[in-house]
Amino acid sequence: MAVAWIGNRETLVERAAAHAAALLGSSRCPVFSLDTDIHGTRAAIALAERVGAAYDHADSAAVSRETALFTDKGAMTVAPGEARRRADVVVIVGELPQIHHQFVSELSATVPDLSAKNQREIFLVGSNGASAPPLNNGRTATLLSCGEASLGATLAALRAQWKGRQTSQPVSNFDDFTKALEAAHFPVFLFSGDATEGLALEMLQGLITDLNRKSRASGLHLPASENGWGSALASTWMTGFPLRTGFARGVPEFDPWRYDVARMIADGEADLHLRISSSIVQPQKKKNRMALIALAKTEEPIAGAAVTIAIGEAGVDHEAVVYSSRTGSLRSIDARAASELPSAATVIRLVASHVSAEAALPC
Amino acid sequence: MLTKIAGGDIIDPVNGRVGKGDLWIRDDKIIAAPVGGAADRTIDAAGCIVMAGAIDIHSHIGGGNVNTARLLLPEQHAAHQERPVTTPLSNAGWSTFQTGCLYAKMGFTTVVEPAMSPGAALHTHLELADIPIIDKATLAILGNDDFLLSMIRDDASSQMIEDYVAWTVASTRALGVKVINAGAAAAFKENVRTFSLDDVVPSYGVSSRKIVKTLQAAVDSLGVPHPLHVHCNNLGSPGSADTAAATIAAAEGLPLHLAHLQFYGYGTEGKRKFSSAAARLAELVNATPEVTIDIGQVMFGQTVTVSSDVMRQFSARGSAQPKKSVIHDGDGNGGGIVPYSYGKDFYGAMQWAIGLELFLLIDDPWRVFFTTDHPNGAPFTAYPALFELLMSREARTEMIARLPKSAMALSTLAAIDREYTFEEIAVMTRASPAKLLGLTDRGHLGAGAIADIAVYRRDGNIAKMLGQAAYVFKDGDLVVQDGEITHYRWGKALRLNPSPDKAMVRRLEDYHQQRYGLSLDWFNFPDSAIAREQPFGEVACRT
Repeated sequence: MAVAWIGNRETLVERAAAHAAALLGSSRCPVFSLDTDIHGTRAAIALAERVGAAYDHADSAAVSRETALFTDKGAMTVAPGEARRRADVVVIVGELPQIHHQFVSELSATVPDLSAKNQREIFLVGSNGASAPPLNNGRTATLLSCGEASLGATLAALRAQWKGRQTSQPVSNFDDFTKALEAAHFPVFLFSGDATEGLALEMLQGLITDLNRKSRASGLHLPASENGWGSALASTWMTGFPLRTGFARGVPEFDPWRYDVARMIADGEADLHLRISSSIVQPQKKKNRMALIALAKTEEPIAGAAVTIAIGEAGVDHEAVVYSSRTGSLRSIDARAASELPSAATVIRLVASHVSAEAALPC
Repeated sequence: MLTKIAGGDIIDPVNGRVGKGDLWIRDDKIIAAPVGGAADRTIDAAGCIVMAGAIDIHSHIGGGNVNTARLLLPEQHAAHQERPVTTPLSNAGWSTFQTGCLYAKMGFTTVVEPAMSPGAALHTHLELADIPIIDKATLAILGNDDFLLSMIRDDASSQMIEDYVAWTVASTRALGVKVINAGAAAAFKENVRTFSLDDVVPSYGVSSRKIVKTLQAAVDSLGVPHPLHVHCNNLGSPGSADTAAATIAAAEGLPLHLAHLQFYGYGTEGKRKFSSAAARLAELVNATPEVTIDIGQVMFGQTVTVSSDVMRQFSARGSAQPKKSVIHDGDGNGGGIVPYSYGKDFYGAMQWAIGLELFLLIDDPWRVFFTTDHPNGAPFTAYPALFELLMSREARTEMIARLPKSAMALSTLAAIDREYTFEEIAVMTRASPAKLLGLTDRGHLGAGAIADIAVYRRDGNIAKMLGQAAYVFKDGDLVVQDGEITHYRWGKALRLNPSPDKAMVRRLEDYHQQRYGLSLDWFNFPDSAIAREQPFGEVACRT
């Protein structure tokens, strides 16, 4: 089975890696987009430093919003296990990504064993017509909405009404919500940056802060992308900064606008794109003749890529460390169907070994 | 490779060696002077002090809460230096890579991350594995987790509790156990806002004292070399000296380590009801030989407080500077991240003075440990300046003159003449930490010890001398020369490895399945997950 290509021509991995390294070495503005495990991220950041690249998540808008909540405002959060065991009121804030639906379903099927209430009420904040992930036992979430108002506006109204202030439009089912909160010991708000604008995330945290003046409440961060959040954490310990960090000037600089890799590609700033993702993604629209190096789980060259190298999928082809939203931390996973396909980290290190440098890569 | 460090002033309190002489290294170990041996490499240490590599027993260098603090404050750690070609990522501000380099430059070769949440053990060890040069270790946090509190409530046998503690230490690859505001994080989840030693966690009917005593006994009985590491209740509150005094009294003959005692050295005298109780606490420590403490010295300037004492951090949110914080209710403790700036105002000056009083009034350098509780009292980069304050009364007097008189009037600091000697520094930062942690292979310069060695060129400026080592060896590798990193290498995380009891593992598997809906596999990890060669070094339990 072929595992490496230069253009459409099959080649040895070693040669493809050397060619990728040559492209990186001659690039004036390389960018990396990542959708990979922790060790893939670590290797990519070490390579980014060496070649002066900027890096970001492959689908970074939501990850960036979640990151901004922490860099700009801070938050009150709770571990998922604690939410499962303690939340007597669960409030689903907006639409949650598909990957979290099973956990929401599990919350609806269980009761909090660490709460004296021994039952769980479920609400959904969203506009009219919004739907919660499927709940268990035929349960439905009570909708808290202000007609067609945005999620941010609805949260603002909810917060204002809770504080006894007037709102231009009342929140539906507010009395039920008040009753539930007054009886609750530990309400938990489930949130993601996926379909929630940044200010709405801040407004939610304002509401949680208000609730904590007299009783307890917290928010459960359910990341839009587990790989994205894992990469953000690894980047933060390695460079001090989350994703959207660049080494253009030799040292790491965090700039969520400037190093938005999708923007850099769309605006024609980048001249070389290294994309690391086990899934196959269609090339992004670009304004210049940017070259693409694709590391993907593929049996054929990626259309338009100058170099393609096949990699395995974390947790399928090889063991890996990934972020788990189910535990709220990093988790080690075994290979479900171990294969000889190399990990992203292995291939990135191979590419890096062809980039001239005085020091060995730190990881 | 045979290396000779020639003609230095050797200070090795453990082996009673103080004076001019040579020190020999073969490969990664210190050896006795070989008969007729010719060194492959000779280091001229004339005019230098030669000590073992320093050991920091309490510095928050990695793990979930530390990383959240980085995430919260990107504006605080921008990197301004040029990229170093031989030490990748080491100028990335507050990165794991920079942490290892900065410690090594000061001659520190082993650092303990004292607050590892068991659920975040893999994350913590991955961060530690990206800290270059030095060895690391962790203390696993227990004492707010449902499993332990339920066992205590249900009068579980001491054997069962020991089995649980042993499993936690083994599975998280920890070197010891820490308890942080015992019971308070659990109580805070039930909306309790203050919590003292004899307060009871509502749903469990278990007091904080009972939790501390239970863990103290388990740690001792298991032969964990490091005594239970206690973060007391009421940290930072005026009058918290009473809590610290009660906790010291609760040691009752068994070893107990109290962390960052400065943050409990607060009395209630004066018009602000905030005064120094350091003299009282120092007297208690002096009279209680089973107790050891570290200081958690405050130094002036911007920092961020990072603590798993979630109740305390929640109450401190109002003083956040800049005004943002993270409060996390975790499976056990969770944590809080609150940025803070220590100013030279009454309160900052009082805290600064209290820490120094404790350093100087506790007589035995074997029982007081050198920490700023990094980054809570100050970043560890303030260590050189702190050494100078301890070793020079003149340096203290200069600073006292710049501080509010109202604060200094409530402290005995100005009247203390003591100046630490290099021998006492060697005890406090080398010999005694190794003893406290059960690390017989380091902290001294005797034959057979690992070659962790710091060489400092004598200088009237103590901060400069101890801040930029002339030479540092880690496991025999020369890693620092003239205050600059010359060689990247990867240390180990030191851990205990008690055998977990099979019945306890089965019980924990059932518990995780029932309560979290997850198998225990979700929380375990193989050593290979760290992706470094030999990521761990094993330390023996006491027999």
